[in-house]
Amino acid sequence: MSSMKEIKQRIANVSSTEQIIKAMDIVASTKLQRARAQLEGVRPIYYELKRLVAEVGDQEEAKTHVFYGEREVRNSLYIVLTSDRGFSGGYNAGILTKALAHMNQGKKESILAVGAKGYEYLRKQGKNIIRKIIDLPDTQVYYGTESIAKWVIDLYQSGEVEEVFVAYTHFENVLSYVPSVERVLPVVTNIGTRTESHRKYEPTLATYIDHLIPIYLHMNLFRAFSESHTSEQAARMVSMDAAGKNAEEMIEELTRMYNRKRQAVITQELSEIVGSTNILNKGGRHDS
Amino acid sequence: MASEQTGLVKKQKIDLRITTPRGVKFVEEADLIIMRCIDGDLGVMPGHALITTVLGDGIFRIYNDGVERKLAVFGGIAEIGDNTVNIFSTIAQRPEEIDRERAEMDRREAEATLLEESEEHQIRKLQVLLRHSLIRIEVSSHLEEAEYFKYEGEEEDEES
Repeated sequence: MSSMKEIKQRIANVSSTEQIIKAMDIVASTKLQRARAQLEGVRPIYYELKRLVAEVGDQEEAKTHVFYGEREVRNSLYIVLTSDRGFSGGYNAGILTKALAHMNQGKKESILAVGAKGYEYLRKQGKNIIRKIIDLPDTQVYYGTESIAKWVIDLYQSGEVEEVFVAYTHFENVLSYVPSVERVLPVVTNIGTRTESHRKYEPTLATYIDHLIPIYLHMNLFRAFSESHTSEQAARMVSMDAAGKNAEEMIEELTRMYNRKRQAVITQELSEIVGSTNILNKGGRHDS
Repeated sequence: MASEQTGLVKKQKIDLRITTPRGVKFVEEADLIIMRCIDGDLGVMPGHALITTVLGDGIFRIYNDGVERKLAVFGGIAEIGDNTVNIFSTIAQRPEEIDRERAEMDRREAEATLLEESEEHQIRKLQVLLRHSLIRIEVSSHLEEAEYFKYEGEEEDEES
């Protein structure tokens, strides 16, 4: 049994942890608001561009274009988006498990690891990490994804990789986020939903695709980053919420234990006094 | 089809929608739109053929009821339907959103550096900067028309 002093110490410890948890909760919820606004801004342009990209894929001419044509795949590039910091529940574990499960297909894979957590994990797994991006500030995400998109296109066009996947966490709402792996290059076209159109592409289809794909890729990556970032903040907020509740419960429990202990000490002291008084009284009777 | 349309043209307007990474930014009606594509200017009136094209850096002119408005649009995709124009661009700025001082500063800097720098890559970068600043200056010099852009329920949106 721990002494009263020890219990008191533990209560102090847990309360200071609780304060840190509460602060992190508040930070996460503010960041979540901002991240959601950014995500909701980028989603429309992404979905529209995705539609345009898919429409172009219906054109006969496009099927031979480098961004559309299926090639024999020897090397795949994975862009794995994780967080830099922990305390976000199962967020990182979820996306990393999903990405790893997707990778084991017998192809040679190169990885662009975004976020310290993913980098450390994949390094320990002995994966071929060709680039890492750690501690990308929120304000740099937009231009950061633009340069990543350029880098990816260069890599793809030079033939070093034949397909590119992005592993990110899709944000649905504060309580649910789905880890998912999507292929970004070559572009996925929804064959079957083909609609006969008389749409013309200017100046030429090839030039159009050459301009469309970089914008699409930039927006796709920016959206994936935003989705992941929003999910991360939501996961952190939820887990901090739970941790805060646990801390509160723990403090309550410890306080109760402390009070009981204090009561026990007082009772013991009282019974000692009573006992000794009794003995003294008895002694008096013996004297008479 | 063309003869049917001519009778309708007068009351028809183009539904213009500009989408940027900050959401659907601009929903307007227009009689005529002139936009800068990578291979020159393109004018669009109601009933235009279905065309999808690539935008360059330039001034995006919107004419509605005889009033001309200008936006600065840098790159993007234009999807032209029968009576709709969808613009997807990373940057689309209204005159009042443009930081005129910064644009002027960019111009001076680019012009000054262009005189001395000789590296190919650097020059190209500066030419882009110079072109962007010139477009911003041109668009923002029509600030007196800015009140047309303000309509109710519009959320404040900044792009810089």
